[in-house]
Amino acid sequence: MKMRSVKYLVGEGFKSTWANRLMSLASIGVLVACMVLIGLAILITENVNLALGRLEQENTIMVYMKDYSWALYGRTEETEVKEDADENGISESDYVIHNEEEAKALCQKIADLPNVEAADYVSGEEGLDSVKKNMFEGQAQYFDFLNSEHGNPLSDAARVTMNDMSKFDETIESIKKIEGVDTIQSQGDLAEKIAGFKRGFALAAIWIIAILLVIALIIVSNTIRVTMYSRKLEISIMKAVGATNSFIRLPFVIEGIIIGIISAVLSEGILYFVYTLLSEKIATALGTNQLVPFSDMALIMLAISLLIGIFSGTLGSIIIISKYLRREGSEFSAI
Amino acid sequence: MAENVINDNLSFSAEPIIEFRGVSKTYPTGTHALEDVNLRINKGEFVFVVGSSGAGKSTFMKLIMREEKPNTGVIKVNGFNLTKMASKQVPKLRRTMGMVFQDFRLINTMNVFNNVAFAMHVIGAGDAEIRREVPKALSAVGLGEKARSMPMQLSGGEQQRVGLARALVNAPDLIIADEPTGNVDPNMSYDIVTMLTEINKRGTTVIMVTHDHGLVHDFNHRVIMLDHGKIIADIPAGGDNV
Repeated sequence: MKMRSVKYLVGEGFKSTWANRLMSLASIGVLVACMVLIGLAILITENVNLALGRLEQENTIMVYMKDYSWALYGRTEETEVKEDADENGISESDYVIHNEEEAKALCQKIADLPNVEAADYVSGEEGLDSVKKNMFEGQAQYFDFLNSEHGNPLSDAARVTMNDMSKFDETIESIKKIEGVDTIQSQGDLAEKIAGFKRGFALAAIWIIAILLVIALIIVSNTIRVTMYSRKLEISIMKAVGATNSFIRLPFVIEGIIIGIISAVLSEGILYFVYTLLSEKIATALGTNQLVPFSDMALIMLAISLLIGIFSGTLGSIIIISKYLRREGSEFSAI
Repeated sequence: MAENVINDNLSFSAEPIIEFRGVSKTYPTGTHALEDVNLRINKGEFVFVVGSSGAGKSTFMKLIMREEKPNTGVIKVNGFNLTKMASKQVPKLRRTMGMVFQDFRLINTMNVFNNVAFAMHVIGAGDAEIRREVPKALSAVGLGEKARSMPMQLSGGEQQRVGLARALVNAPDLIIADEPTGNVDPNMSYDIVTMLTEINKRGTTVIMVTHDHGLVHDFNHRVIMLDHGKIIADIPAGGDNV
């Protein structure tokens, strides 16, 4: 097709959108509603992911090490006392981590594993202080007694955070394999639940978006169908004077795209308004704003809306006009 | 009787623009629209196609425009073999023709100039060419002063002349007029056929379907008479027609 024909047809597309402005407005309205719902689904998914991410961060994993405390509190009556044992009956060869340096090296080995975001060293003393804070007074006193009589019952540990909690089990398995690791304390169930919830939520969001996309497609198709029947006469003349199908199709595609773009821009504005309002309400209610800022999402949301608009506009019009040209539009002597 | 006349026409030495050889068309509903039609129309001829309703006139036109395909036989139009033609080639065929409709088919939201220019846009003509050719076509049908008028401001006859200008503007080899005088008064009918005759004299082949026996009689062009899907008479120009 010649460039000047394309220019002419683009102009015709604009004219047609304006000529059918009531119908165009109706479909823009419904399309905007669809896009706002799609946008909200995306924004909600983003925020749920953010909240779950925070929850995951709080779900710390403590990796305890095979240090002196481990050997001391792990020994029984049957444990063999070696020649070089100290007054507690513990020999250097009975444990793996002998000092802070080795403990930190173990932390580094954990940190180097895939899916481990951080592995911070927590000394036995720090661990004890932290544990005592969550204890009743009697329990705390008992731990103080143990500490003064025999030594700190808590081993040195690594506080581990993961990037992806869905890979929790395999990451734990990798940590367990490292020399010097004793027990791992974590809330595996919670991690699993969070990962499961994330998966389920993402799946639901995809379904919602897919359904809304189909609705958007049907709406644009219907507008184009109405426009097309109102332009039956023009189509018949075009066919009679030798217009190609692509020449006939282009103004309708342009009209679909125009409707899509206008809807995308309007829905972006509405989303901004609704989301800002909601953020303020939530911030007032909770005293803190934990939502993803709209500005972080604005560009991607606009891109998604434009994509949906252009996609539904193009596809909707191509489907309808091709179907028409195959059936009725091939006749021009009787319309 | 008709067979003899057809054979006479086939013996013309002039170059054919339309050829039907053993053409039959039956619709899926079972209606036999045309049966074993053989005919030849040469370049530069003016042909009236007459016949009562259901005689096969519409099918005959549809076959020429490649709106329908025959069940059997061969159709050649303006160098295109329509029976072997791919759908993609149809626009090329139609660009060699101009179509005039009984109901004018003007776009009421466009003025006269743009209605005619529309046919040029479709074939990808440039603005300069459109500005040059459209006034020429309008002048040829006597509407040079009405370029800015809207179709609804014109009489039936004037509207049909706009339709004629639109058919002419791309300088087709063949004009197909489907009852162009069906919706205009008798005087204007006469004017329209006179215009078509003038166009024909300049070398364009004209095929006109009509019910108006008076016009056929007055203009003395070749007449093809159809009845029940068959050519029952093919009277050469200047012959003793209806």
